[in-house]
Formats: sequence, structure tokens, C-alpha cells
Amino acid sequence: MKKIYLIFIVLIGISTSCKKNLEELNVDTKHPTEVPGNFLFANAQKALGDQVSSTNVNLNNWKLWAQYWTETTYTDESNYDVVTRDIASNTFQEYYRDNLADLKEAARIIGGEPTSGEDEEKAKENRLIIIDILTVYSYQRLVDMFGNIPYYEALDIENISPVYDDAEAIYKDLITRINSDIISLGSGGNSFGADDIYFSGNVAMWLKFANTLKVKLGITMATVDNGLAKSTVEAAFTGAFGEGEGCELEYLGGINSNQIYVDMIQSGRHDFVATSTITDMMNTLADPRLYSYFTLIDTSSNPEVTKLAYHGGEPGYSSSYTQFSHIPNTGVDAASAGGDRLDTDVEGSNVADATFPMVLLDYTELCFYLAEAAERGYSVGGSAEEWYTKGITASMNWWLSKHYGPGDVASMTADYLANTDVAYGSAAGDWREKIGNQSWLAFYYRGFIGYTSFRRLGYPVMKQVPSPYEGSGGTVPRRITYPIADQTLNAANYTQAASAIGGDLLKTKIFWDIGPVPSK
Amino acid sequence: MRKITILLTFLLFVGMQFANAQQRTISGKVTSAEDGTGIPGVSISVKGTVVGTVTDINGDFRMDIGDLHEILIFQYLGMKTQEVEIGSGTTFNVILETDALLMEEVVVTALGITREKKSLGYATQQVDGDDINTIKNDNFINNLQGKAAGVNIKVNNNLGGSTNVIIRGSSSLTGNNQALFVVDGVPISNNLVTESGQISGRNGYDFGNAASDIPASDIESVDILKGAAATALYGSRAANGVIMITTKKGSKGRGTKRWGVNLSTSATVGLMDKSTFPAYQKDYGAGYGWFYSAGPDYPGLERDYDINGDGELDLTVPTYEDASFGQKFDPGLMVYQYNSYDPASPKFKTATPWVAGENGADYFMQNTWSFTNSVSIFGGGEKATFRLGYSNTTATAMMVNGNLNNNSLDFSGSYEIVKGLTASAKLNYISMKGKGRNSTGYSDNILSSFRQWSQVNVDYKEQEALYNDNTRNITWNPNSPSDLAPAYWDNPYWARNQNYETDKRSRLLGYAMVDWEINDHFSLMGRFGFDTYSYLIEDRKAIGSASGEFGVGRNDVTSGYSRKTILYSETNTDFMARYHNNWEHFNISVLLGTNIRRQNNESIWESTQGGLIVPGLYSLGNSLDPQAPPVERKATIGVNGYFANVSVGFINQVYLDGSVRLDKSSTLPADNNTYVYPAISASWLWSELLKNSDWLQLGKLRAGYAQVGNDAPFAAINDTYSQNPSFGSVPLFSLPSTKNNINLKPERTSSIETGIEMTMFNSRFGFDIAYYKNNTTDQILPVAVSTATGYSYKYVNAGEIQNAGTELLIFGAPVVRNKFRWDITLNWAKNVNKVVSLDEGLENLQLASLQGGVSINARVGEPYGTIQGKDYVYNDAGQKIIGSDGYYLRSSTSDNVLGNINPDWMGGINNRFSFNHNWVVSFLVDWQQGGSIFSLDQYYGLGTGLYEETVYTNDLGNPVRNSLDDGGGLILDGVMNTGTEDEPVWEANTTRVHGDDYRVFGWSRNPNAAFIYSATYIKLREVVISYSLPSKMMANSKALHAVSFSLVGGNLWIISKDLPHADPEASQGAGNVQGWQSGVAPSMRTIGLTVNVQF
Repeated sequence: MKKIYLIFIVLIGISTSCKKNLEELNVDTKHPTEVPGNFLFANAQKALGDQVSSTNVNLNNWKLWAQYWTETTYTDESNYDVVTRDIASNTFQEYYRDNLADLKEAARIIGGEPTSGEDEEKAKENRLIIIDILTVYSYQRLVDMFGNIPYYEALDIENISPVYDDAEAIYKDLITRINSDIISLGSGGNSFGADDIYFSGNVAMWLKFANTLKVKLGITMATVDNGLAKSTVEAAFTGAFGEGEGCELEYLGGINSNQIYVDMIQSGRHDFVATSTITDMMNTLADPRLYSYFTLIDTSSNPEVTKLAYHGGEPGYSSSYTQFSHIPNTGVDAASAGGDRLDTDVEGSNVADATFPMVLLDYTELCFYLAEAAERGYSVGGSAEEWYTKGITASMNWWLSKHYGPGDVASMTADYLANTDVAYGSAAGDWREKIGNQSWLAFYYRGFIGYTSFRRLGYPVMKQVPSPYEGSGGTVPRRITYPIADQTLNAANYTQAASAIGGDLLKTKIFWDIGPVPSK
Repeated sequence: MRKITILLTFLLFVGMQFANAQQRTISGKVTSAEDGTGIPGVSISVKGTVVGTVTDINGDFRMDIGDLHEILIFQYLGMKTQEVEIGSGTTFNVILETDALLMEEVVVTALGITREKKSLGYATQQVDGDDINTIKNDNFINNLQGKAAGVNIKVNNNLGGSTNVIIRGSSSLTGNNQALFVVDGVPISNNLVTESGQISGRNGYDFGNAASDIPASDIESVDILKGAAATALYGSRAANGVIMITTKKGSKGRGTKRWGVNLSTSATVGLMDKSTFPAYQKDYGAGYGWFYSAGPDYPGLERDYDINGDGELDLTVPTYEDASFGQKFDPGLMVYQYNSYDPASPKFKTATPWVAGENGADYFMQNTWSFTNSVSIFGGGEKATFRLGYSNTTATAMMVNGNLNNNSLDFSGSYEIVKGLTASAKLNYISMKGKGRNSTGYSDNILSSFRQWSQVNVDYKEQEALYNDNTRNITWNPNSPSDLAPAYWDNPYWARNQNYETDKRSRLLGYAMVDWEINDHFSLMGRFGFDTYSYLIEDRKAIGSASGEFGVGRNDVTSGYSRKTILYSETNTDFMARYHNNWEHFNISVLLGTNIRRQNNESIWESTQGGLIVPGLYSLGNSLDPQAPPVERKATIGVNGYFANVSVGFINQVYLDGSVRLDKSSTLPADNNTYVYPAISASWLWSELLKNSDWLQLGKLRAGYAQVGNDAPFAAINDTYSQNPSFGSVPLFSLPSTKNNINLKPERTSSIETGIEMTMFNSRFGFDIAYYKNNTTDQILPVAVSTATGYSYKYVNAGEIQNAGTELLIFGAPVVRNKFRWDITLNWAKNVNKVVSLDEGLENLQLASLQGGVSINARVGEPYGTIQGKDYVYNDAGQKIIGSDGYYLRSSTSDNVLGNINPDWMGGINNRFSFNHNWVVSFLVDWQQGGSIFSLDQYYGLGTGLYEETVYTNDLGNPVRNSLDDGGGLILDGVMNTGTEDEPVWEANTTRVHGDDYRVFGWSRNPNAAFIYSATYIKLREVVISYSLPSKMMANSKALHAVSFSLVGGNLWIISKDLPHADPEASQGAGNVQGWQSGVAPSMRTIGLTVNVQF
């Protein structure tokens, strides 16, 4: 009988021995509880670059709204449907959750990091300022997309119903922030070093970025607060990017490929072609960037004859992929494979290449803003024509130098600028039309910037799509509607914001969108 | 049924016979009180000894009893046991009465404890092992359908697919609502292996429920414990109810043999039920309309290529369009189709008539076969028993290159070491292999092509030949004559043969147990139970395939290899001490115990990045780009539970039962990780007061109240960062999308339950009715928050769900004659589910956002699982408003409640006829009333013009797809405002819209509400015809003991349903996201033949 008791005692002993580690069981051993702030900052940079470069129909349809591209078969997004795929929710997620929240967390961690010595202290300060600059950049994009958005109460998980703040008030606060950032960053020093995937920690470049961003913020305010716009632009332009400078995310290929490559080449999908909106204009102007933007396509109706041309589909209509120009890839469209690419094109030189960089802000953009500023009578160190010409030249350089030598680029640019339909003095229309058309062409593949340029200046003339989505007013929308999720998750504030902006509709205008009503 | 019970009983008791020694012989006959016939297989034993025998086929018996002269016990399952004093008598004629409490007199409750059913204060239901072994399929759970009230079992048709088992409604907002599975008292994993993305409609595979590994042939019986009262002893995990499986154990053999053998073999063929498969129109081919380049004569065709090389552009089909809203068929019209583009095709450069494909998508579907073989050997003596069982099931898929293979080897044994002390153990090794499970979801799923995106001009027999002859992806859907890569869809034969998954699960489960009956009153039990498996899932996408989401990161790629390994283990260590005692009018039993549970769930998922380099080489090294870091997970959970239970019975009439459990869980904050919950129940056998009544055999009233606490999911307390692939040499870390919560507290389910059971008219009629109400409060859930907070979800304690319902079980035997008996069993249950509250200020919790713009939600005031999306716009009179363009207006918001996933009620009725003791015929009809489904298949399939509904003669007598000028088109049913916005005047719509525009029938111009269907169905679930060789014949056989044959039909007929072209039960898999169909598998009518032989 004693043996039996012994068996039970041993068994109980075994079972109680595993009790003591109960608390240790709930530890997630596969994820860290502490990481350096730099790596969160880098992650936010990557997320922002990916979102801007993405052409995934669930995330980023701005290239369709800007009528650079249209869809081949499934044309819902080209017809401004943002509801079926709840694109706004995905946009909120990409900006707030994957970019801004990581920036905020990076600042929190970095703020608590100990430093030794003045240099480290300065570098820490700079890092915090740079985080703020990038935060301003992201918030401006959000306001330009939606209008009123959660701002002062955003990014606080303890408050799950953040108020949507007034768009104009946010803009003014962003200008205040960027001013203060510029002043603080002015004294040089180090920052993130190699952990900064945009500028490798170059503080001087971040300062230029901040100034360029300030110009962008300022010029966008021109229609509503000309005084503020003027002072902002004038204060910033001298410190902004110079020729050939800009902020780019240089993709590495592989798992860190440009999202356009991921969505269009790696996927093997044939979802997008050029629109006639852009190919018609560029063909008329004999724009040499056509080579960089699109592929040639055989438009002959006779099999014996090949008639290559840049030919875009009608926006919003079904367009057979093989019948229309699409965006080029060095590999797929290589000359040796019968494609139209130059044999000299190397990987990374064409838009759909894995290592093609994504531009977040650059000199080209600055030039067109300053051309506009000059037209508005701001003192920006040059005339509208000068900045306009510099803008086109900068764009030509950026695109063409990926394929041609400097001499060729210069002569192609000169020819283009000599075209009476391009030259500022002779091109048709008022300054809005001239700057609008050329900046839109220059902003190609930066869908949202091109779309915003169209909204601000009213040009180019966009085409009518066949089934514009409800609430768009039948034409190109003026904003994207709020996330469907927020209709329920943040209902009271959503309702308040919708009414404050004049209805949560595609046709509702952003506060600065009060220029002359464009023709479609 | 009874026949089989007879045989089992026979097996159980016949072995006792050999133990006798002496000379005195007694004899007699045992007959039934019901019909006076002799009962074979009644066990007769001398009380307190192992001396015994069983009656023969006529109910006669003879036995030597030596010098014993005390008491004879006559026992037969389902009949009242009788005791007769032997004295000096030699002839004993005994009449046995049917037991009022029927065969379930003893039920298995929590932790494997058997209890007298009459003493239970809550509802349980037992299903016999044979009833879940009728239809031989890959998942025994499926056979519970329609057989238990209040158990909502939803079977999808995926190969080896998961089965949704919800008992008494969903109670958890975002957690697991599936019932707990327990084998012989030891919980086993019923994990859904599926990816969360797959569950919410992204592409993937349904790998089934882990519990389906248990072979049906090893199952003795299944007890369903429905309420919290029944399950308090299992703690948290039992809040959703428990499916208790009792497996077969060893016993003595037949007659004087110490062992026996059972053999069973069956073959089942499955034939597709065409009412659950698309029926295509036959008049229009590939394309979306009239705008292609061939010009006005052939607006649905293109003229851009010279295919035959004659220098003229030819008429070609827009092969890249995966729709059938194109050019009207015309046998005289010769066109160049995809088969004319590829040099390998016999039709290369050849024009073919423009007609519907001779062999449509149904050609691709094939009959399924499954074979189940099982053998078991069992035996035992006075001290030891054993059973060794082996079972094998192979099943083929409804599409080529798919099969499942399950092998199970099961050993159980017990040995009585010294008197009262028994050691027993069970080991079950299971090897489950799957290959070519069908994809589920929206994209990369052949069935979603067939149902949503296809061309009716495709001949699938031709696709088969082109694949088989060339082993290349010659698809019906190439980009163009100059680019033969697939636009969206592969040749389905390529997809099945090249892009298939394989999976392999090796599992070991069982227990070791020591039982010690110290004396008549005290006993101790110690048990160590375990369930452990490794699971390897590999997926392939061959170079040259259509693009699709694949692997870690789920980028769209055209080739790849992915590999996931899961290691799972669970151990339960239980100790129990029991005391029981009987006095004249009073009995008591007390139970004290502890349960120590540990679970470990680890997985690693890796895949190639960007595609493969070397064709056909499926290794991680064959990655085009450097691999992304694997997704790793390791979740360890521990719960220490302590419980006590006291049952008291008075005068065999009133029973009281109380229990309390304390859990300490690792997943809760350390200072708040202990929680206590009680349960109390009572039953009153009021029929004891009417003991002499003729008409009433049993009357019982029962009531109970119980609470169950529940803990948090793994790692929901402390925050961690998530890592993204490094950017070059820069590591990237991010805040997670869910904010954890250090202040979580346990959640609670409270339930009340009451019921009445009655058996009357000589046990020929009876019912069991139950009412219950469960409220689950303080739910631990990740609530969705506006991402403007920086997170997608936040863990909170919030929300309450209420489930209230009624369950009814009625049984009756309308006809009982000498050789004929008709039994009817009816199950019916209605559950009313309501989301009482969510987190403060939160009205809606989205469970999933699905393709098509609909979502599945928990919305306050609505049942759990509302389907929300865009609705029609209605006027005040409730009429649908048509816009000025002639199409329906759609609501501007997408949060309109369009339906919900919960059925109004469910029921099953089984009729069973037995003739001559050896023929049994039964049929089961299963009915679900209500519940809604959003059909993405209809949403897109009507839009792409695949279905026959999109071709008809309109009100003008013309084909609806004619152009408006040609008298085509249609007038949508609704009203139009001919007044002003402020003073509307509603008139019937008269605007004719294009019927030749793909937008009209499908997704593009219609609200989601147009594609909501009722999930109601009535199905002939099961038909069984079985025949056993007559017992007389068997009695004469030396070797054979019993032989039976059964012919079983499963899902033979969907008697009624609302959803066109699909089975309302079909889904992407089990889980909380139901009510949405995309590319679902058709249902199969199965017919199987089984032969059982016992030695």
C-alpha cells in the first residue's frame, strides 16, 4: 500500500514543479520589448516611401486620379470608387499607424536616450527635429487628401475618439512647427547617420528639405491667406533645395524594391496603362520624357506595317494592356527582347525597375511652386518664367539623364523649351494653365503631387470618365472621403468633421481649393 | 441500432463465461416486456462474482453456477436491470422492462467522470459512436449534424475542411467560439490551422480542425455538454460547450475467448450536387461588352493581330477578359481563340466556331472517392484489458491531384495492479497527410474563377488535353496573342498539378492514468494527458503561373515556395479525490481536484521572395530575391485550476450539485490572474411521486446556474515591437498594430438553464426541453480603433453578448410490432443572440472586412455577425428608388445592416425503421431556417455574365442582351422621383437600361443588398440502409460473430434552398467570419458501402 501512496506523491510532485513558472509563460520571446528609436524612425521613412510609391489599388490610386494611368479591365478606381476597397482606411493606416505613430514613438525613445558630450546632445536634438519635419510632411499630405483630420488629439491610444481638427488651423500649426524646426536645425551637427535612409543623417540636407517643405506649405495657403503664404515662401526659398537636389528613397531591390515594381512587374499583373490625357499632351509637345514615362506600342491596323507610338487609353474605360502604352521596365521591355528600351538602359533607369527611386520632395517641385509664387507677386529671386524654365529643366535632367548622356539631355531640353507651346512667353493660356500643365507633366509618377497640382491650378484639362463614382460631382474628385471605419469607430467626430467641411463627399473641396473652378 | 448494441453487450459479458467451475446448472428465458419476444445478448451474472453468461438468439440461457446461490443479475443496455434470488431454483424466466431513462442512463461529464443522467441539473446529449461512423468522411464531426439539439454544425465542402461547431450560439466577440473537444477526459487541440487572412476571405487553404484527426472507428460515444453548468470543471475553455469523446476500450472476447477482432471496410463515392455548382448561360462569350476593336459588326471581338499569317488582321477573342459579357455566339462565325495562339495547340493558327464550350466547368469537377478500413483487436482477462486499433482513410478531392490520407494507430490498455488500483494508458499516433487541398477565398482559387471570372466559350476538356500533352500553362486567359502569359487565371489543370500544397501532421495523443479505489467510499485518480503534433505545410507556385498573393508578406508573385512548420503541445495533469456514500434516503459525493494545463504553440513560416529561379525546385534557397525574415511565433500558456464539486441526492428524487473552480492563468496580469467561479444545479424526478402511473415512466425538472471565467489570449498584456525586413543594413522596427493592456481582468460567462424531461406511454414517447440564457461580459477583445490613434486595435475588457434559446428533443416510437419498429427523433433549437454592449462609445465592432465592400460585425442591439454594406435607397413607402440613369440608387454609407449570420432556428428529424431485427432503414432530414449570406460569387458572377440568369427574354420579347436599339435592355423594378427633392412624387420606373452592359446585373451598378441571400436549407442529410446477417446464422458460426452491411447516402438531396448555384453551408472555413461566400466548393452527394465483421 505504501508503494501506491508513493506513486501519487511522486506524481503530485512532478506536477507542482511546473507551477512556479506560470508568470514566465506569457512572455513573447519572439519580439523585443525595447528597440533603439533610430530603427523606428527608419521604419517610418520606409513606410512613407512605400506608401508614396505604391500603386496597389487598395492603397494608392492617385496616379489614376491624376490621370497619368488608367486601369485595363477593372476600372472602378479609375472611376473614383474609393469605397469598395475602403482606400481611405488603408491610407489612414499607412500614414497614422505605420508612419506617424512610429515617428512619435521614435521621438519618445530618443528623447529618453542618455547622451554624453555636446556632440551627442546636439545629434539627439537634431534627430528629434528631423522627426518633427517628417511629421509635418506627412500631416500636410493627409490634410491635402481629406481636409479636416485628427491632429491635436491623434496618435494617443488613450483617446480612441480623436477630434477632427480644422484643416486650415492644422496648416498654420504645421507652418509654425516647420519654422521652429528650421531655426533649431540651423546650427549643424550630426543626426541619425546611416540609420536615416533618406539623407544618411545629413543635417544640411534635412534643413533644405524643411525649407522646401515650408515653401510647399506656404504656396498651398496662397488662396486663403496670401499674406502668410507670401511671408512663408519668401522666408524659405533661399534655404531650399538647389539644382539636382531632392529627397529620394533609393530602393535597394529584392525585398526592398520600389512598390511600383512589386505591384506591376514582380506580380506579373497588367493592370495599368497610360492615359490619353498624358500621352496626347506629350505627343503634341513632342516631349522627350515620353521615353522615360512609357513604352511604345504598335498602333498599326495592318500586320505588315509597324507603327510605333505612345498611345494612352481613355481614362476610366477598359483598355487592353497590349494595345496601349504602359510604364517601362528595363528587364521586361529590354531592347534585346524586342522591346523599345535602349540597350544602354541599366537596371534602375526605368520607372518600373526594382531600384527606381521614389521622390518625396525635390528641386523640380520647388521650381514650379516658385514660378507660381512669382506670378502671385512674391519676391522669390526670379521671375515666373525663370522658375518655370528651371522646373522643366530640372525634370528633364532627372528623367533623361537616366538614359542619355549630358549633351543629349541638354539638347533635348533646349529643343523642348524652344517649342512655342512650352516656352513660357508663347505657351497658351494664363499662368495657371502654363504652370499647371508643365508641373503636372513634371510630377509624373508622383500621383498625389500631380493630382494636388491639378486641384490647385485647375490644369491640365482632365477627361471625363464613364462612370464617375457617387459624390464625385461627375468630375475628378476634390478629395478622398473619410475612412468607412471611422464612420463607426469615431462616429461623433466623423459626423462633426463631415459637416464642418461641407459633407464627406468626393466633390467637397479642401479649404485651400478655392481658385477658379477648372474646366473638368 | 439495437442490433449493434446487442452485439456489443454480448462482447462485453460473454467472456465471463469461462470462469466457472462447478456442476449446478440453471436455465431460463429472458423476454421483453414490450413485445414478449426473447432478447438475445442479455448478460446474466451471479452478483459479486465473475460467473455469468448471456442469452442466445432466442433469449434462452443455461449456465453452471457451482455452489453459488445468492443473486442473479440480468442486465441489458436500455432495459431495467433485474436482480433475482437464486435460492434453490433451476429455471428463471425473466421479463425485462425498457428503462425509462433509456440508454443514456449514464453519461460522461467533465474530466471523464461518468454520472447518472437523472442526477444532472443540466442538459447533455449523447450520440452513439455508430451514429457518427455512418458516413465515412474525413471528419467525424460532420456526422453530428442534425443529431444534437443546439449544436450548430456547419460543414463546408473543402477537402478535409474545417467544421464550425457552435453550441448555443457565439458568446465571444473576437475569441474562439468553437466547442472544446475532449477525448477520454483529456482536452485535445481543435485548432484551426488556417491563416487569419484565409478565414477573412483572402486566398489560402482550409486545413481543417485538428480534432478531425480522431478516427470515427475508435469512437464509442460522444456526449455533448452544452451549458456552462456542465462544463464548469473544465474551466475557461469549456465556456463554448464540450464535445466529449469516449473511445473504445478493450474488453473480453466472444464466448470463452479472451479476445476479439473487428474489421470494417467501406468505400464511398461522392457525386457533385449540380444545384450547388454554377449553371452558365450559353449565348455569349468572352468580354465585357461591345467596345472592342473589331468594329460595329463584331463589337465584342478584336481585330488587332494577324494570327494565321495571311497579312490580314483577324478576328480574335479578348482572351484577357475573365468575363462572359462579350460577343454573341454564332456557330457560323469563325474566330481565333486562345487555342490558336500557341504552337503546341492542335488548333494553332486555326479559327474555330464561336460557340459555348462543349465541356463547361463541371467537366473539371470529378467524383470523389474515399476508402476507410479499420481493424481492431481487443481482449482482456479479469485484471487486464487492451485494445489495439488501426484505421486508415484515404479520400480524393473533387479536383485532380488532391487527396487526404489519415492513418491512426491507437492502443489503450488497463491493468489492475492490486485490488482497487488500476493503471491505464492510451496512446494514439495519427499521421495525416494532405495534398492539393482546394484553395479558398477570392483570388487564386479555381472555384472563384468558375463562379465569378470565366468565359463560357472555354472547353475544359481542351484545357485538360493542352496541359496533359505539354505540361505547360496553356491557359484560356492569355494576355494577348503576342503575350501568352496568363492575365488572371491559369489553365486549371496546370494550377492543380503544379501549384499544389502538401501538408503533413504527425500527432501523438493519449494519457496515462492511475485509479485507486481505496475503499467503497474513497478513490483517488491521477492522470497525465497529452496531445502533441508537428505540422508541416508547404505551398508551391510554379514558374509561369498567374500572379497571386503568396508567402510571407503576401506580395503578388508568379512563382514561389512557402513552408510553415507548427509545433504544438498540450499537457494536462489532473488529480482527483472522490468520496461518496449512500444512506437510505440520502447520498453524497464529493470531488476535489486540480488541473494543471500547459500549452505551447510554435510556428515558423518562411518563403521565397520575388519568385523562383530554377523551375520545379521547391526549396527556400531557390529564391529570386533574398528571403524576407521568417514569421516566428511562440506562444506558451499555462493555467492552474483547482476545483471542488459536491452532489447530494435525496430519496432518489432530488439532486443538488454545486461546484467551484479557481483558475490562475498565465495570460492575465500577475496581480489579477486568479479568478473563481461557481456553478449550482438541481434536478427533481417528480415522476417518483407517481411511481405507479402507467403512462409516465420519467418526469424530471432541472435548473442550474453557472459562471465561467476566462483569461486573455497569449501576450495581450505587455507591449512589444514588431520587426520588418531590414532596409539594407538598417533594421526596421515598428509599433505593433494592437495596443496591449496591462490592466486586463478575467472575462465572465454567466448562464442559467432550466429544462423538463419526460418519458411516457411505456417509453414510446418522450421529450426533453431546455431553456437557457448565457451572458458573457467583460470580454477581453482587441477592439478596432480609428487608426488615427496610431493603432488598429486595442485590448480592452468590454462588451457583453447574450445568447438565449430553447432546445427541444422529442422521441417517439409510433409503431412497435413484433418484428417491426419505427422510431422518430426530432431535434430543434432556437438561439437568439444579441450583442448587448461593446466598449464605451462603441456601437460596432468589425470582425472582418471582405471583398465586395461588405463586413461582418458585432453591432450593439443586433445579433452577433451582422453583414453590413451598401443598401438600396428606399422611399418612405419602402420602395427601392431608381436614379435618373435608370439604375438603383445606393446608400452613401457602407454600414447598413443587410443581414446576419445566425439562423432563426435549426432542426433535424430522423426516422428509423427496423425490421426483423436485422434490417434497419433510417433517414435524417436537417433543416436550417434563416441566416443570411452575402454571395460574392453572385456579386461578380452576375456582373461577368456567367450565370444563366443573365440571359433571358425581356418584357419586349427580345433577348435582354440585345442593344437598346435592338429592343434589348431591361427596366429595373423600383420607383423614380418625378417630383422635386422636397416634394417627391414616386412613379414606377420606366427607364430602360442596357442589358448588354456588364454593369447591370452585378457588382458595378447594384448595392451589396442585391446579393444577400437567405441561408435557409432543408437537406436530406443521411440515409442508411443496413443489414446484419441473422443472429441464428451467427450463433452457428464458430469464427464469425457478427457481419453487417450498410449502404449510406450523405447529402443526397437539398430539398430546399434560396441561394442559387451554391450550398448555403459552404464557406472558406470555420471561425467567426461566416455569411460570406466566394469560390466555395460545391457539395457532394455521397454513397458509401460499409462492411463490418466481428470475430
